[in-house]
Amino acid sequence: MDKQSYTCVLVSDFNLQNFAGYAANDPEFPNLKPIAAPLGQPVPTLLDHTAPHWQNAPDVAVIWTQPQSVISAFNALLTYEQVPVREVLQEVDEYCSLLVNMSGRVRYAFVPAWVLPSYRSVFGVLDMKTGIGLTNTLMRMNLRLAENLEKVSNIHVLNTHKWIERAGTNAFNPKLWYLGKIPFGNEIFKAAVQDVKAALRGMLGYARKLIIVDLDDTVWGGIVGDVGWENLVLGGHHHRGEAYVDFQQALKSMKNRGILLAIVSKNEEQAALEAIQHHPEMVLALEDFAGWRINWQDKVQNILEVMTELNLGPQSVVFIDDNPAERARVKESLPEVLVPDWPEDPLFYPATLLSLRCFEMPSLSREDLSRTAMYFSENQRQDLKKTVRSLEEWLRHLAIRVQVEELHPANLQRATQLLNKTNQMNLSTRRMSEAELMAWAEPKHRTLWTLRVSDRFGDAGLTGIVSLEIQDRKAQLVDFILSCRVLGRKIEETMLFTAIHYAHALEVEEVYARYIPTSKNKPCLDFFKSVVPRFQQQGEIFIWNVEHPFPLPEHIELVQ
Amino acid sequence: MAETEISRFIEWRRGPAAMNEKITQMLFNVLDELNQLRPREEHLAKEVGTPLAGDFGRLDSAALINLIVLTEEKSAHELGRPILLTDDRTMSQINTVFRTVGSLADHIHLLLNEKRDG
Repeated sequence: MDKQSYTCVLVSDFNLQNFAGYAANDPEFPNLKPIAAPLGQPVPTLLDHTAPHWQNAPDVAVIWTQPQSVISAFNALLTYEQVPVREVLQEVDEYCSLLVNMSGRVRYAFVPAWVLPSYRSVFGVLDMKTGIGLTNTLMRMNLRLAENLEKVSNIHVLNTHKWIERAGTNAFNPKLWYLGKIPFGNEIFKAAVQDVKAALRGMLGYARKLIIVDLDDTVWGGIVGDVGWENLVLGGHHHRGEAYVDFQQALKSMKNRGILLAIVSKNEEQAALEAIQHHPEMVLALEDFAGWRINWQDKVQNILEVMTELNLGPQSVVFIDDNPAERARVKESLPEVLVPDWPEDPLFYPATLLSLRCFEMPSLSREDLSRTAMYFSENQRQDLKKTVRSLEEWLRHLAIRVQVEELHPANLQRATQLLNKTNQMNLSTRRMSEAELMAWAEPKHRTLWTLRVSDRFGDAGLTGIVSLEIQDRKAQLVDFILSCRVLGRKIEETMLFTAIHYAHALEVEEVYARYIPTSKNKPCLDFFKSVVPRFQQQGEIFIWNVEHPFPLPEHIELVQ
Repeated sequence: MAETEISRFIEWRRGPAAMNEKITQMLFNVLDELNQLRPREEHLAKEVGTPLAGDFGRLDSAALINLIVLTEEKSAHELGRPILLTDDRTMSQINTVFRTVGSLADHIHLLLNEKRDG
């Protein structure tokens, strides 16, 4: 993970120094460098785009306010004046428009939802009544805030209530408020920093994508090889059995959200697969797993094999095993794999899984939701490969179709996701928000295409990006990005064809690609060094004379 | 005798040195929390002589507020005895009471003794 520091502007009506302290000194990636805007002036700070803290393109902003300080109608409600809810919501709309204007100054903005101290319950059941209850009104305000900001791709509303539940009685301390204008206890700020960082990791492409689980005493109770699948502890009227079912349901929910599941287990494969297929209380089916290694080999070796099969690196993997010795072995051998400490008691398995903060994604695309199905299709492609005699024959049988589209609002979300999480086949490894990418591609001298790839086995989705910047009859290939899911099927060449063909039409003389090395994008360099027909290489720059067309691979059907 | 009374009696029999030790350990736990808010090179050493407030103090006003609130919280949780560090007497001699970890421990000991005697 990169060592870069991300500047983080803090805008608040209260003292955020403790948040800043935790943000700056928390060892988890990414490093944050907080910049505090003037205390107590959130609205002027949001309005004034020339203020010093907005200069130098800060990466992140956290705008954390108390509802009574930015919504005056709510402040009136606090003293039980009669204020119609619609007036309150109108002010929320106005406040949201300030946030929307601010969003262009940063890459990512976070807005914690509004809360009131939990000790403020003097009117009891009236609290939830429409028009009079403070909590009722505050819930409407937060909903309005979330709905308004949902339209802006780089603003994210954070669930403050979750932090308050976690902090319990330490959530609020009036003493901190009266002494230092700090409305929350430090547990709240710690949780806020963790959530902001987890969200940023997802946005920067570091979300985990694969959960590898053990079987015995992990997804069910008991050793299937010893007791047989009929006698496993799973479901039924048994407290541990119910917990294992809930754990499987939690895994299934992860899979439905686009996270891949795989099995690495020391077992007889046939016995384990029988249990998965025949046990009536199994929530997970074989189709829910993108891959498995069920044998008596070393688990590290098996994990490496699963990663290779699914084209994922260790930084994408979470390994869950009830056996501390296996966990320690994997931790030591594959330090980039996340191996969470796992509770001894299965009753805590579901909660432990659901509290992991490593799967956060800023958005969910169609590709995310059907990822496991895509890996199934991939297995079918690989099976076909074994039956043919050459790469060309395999590619011909696949009947690949590539749909090329320019960047537009409908494909922006997925294109940004791909830009931010692709590491290997990535020429320049730029990381940008949706708004930044759209703004970059807008001028006429720049064009960005997305590529959707499908074949007879299924739709791999939007898996490629190529972009050009033209200046003085020379065009720079700025982005050259391809998901590892479709590498090696001549999609790379199709991307070059697209860019060079376009450049030729505009009478550009030369297209060049400047390779910017990272620790992970050597496959991109290898491709440019070896692609046929050859590019002229000058160090890390690869040049194509546009006088000569770049051929479209024979077996590709191009749709534009 | 209730359990807390028994433990207080045992504590009383063990004498002031044992109590001082508990208070100092509690303050070291407070320093652990404060250090999470500070860069590594500015971490406060867990020693009785570590300067806190005053001329040679290392805490700014926000850090001092955190120290006060955390110490009150931990005194209640770890020593089972709530104390008040924002009373007028403590505030009027803030640079003396909070000069070092040791001076703060002495002050807490004094407050706890006053409570017991009172």
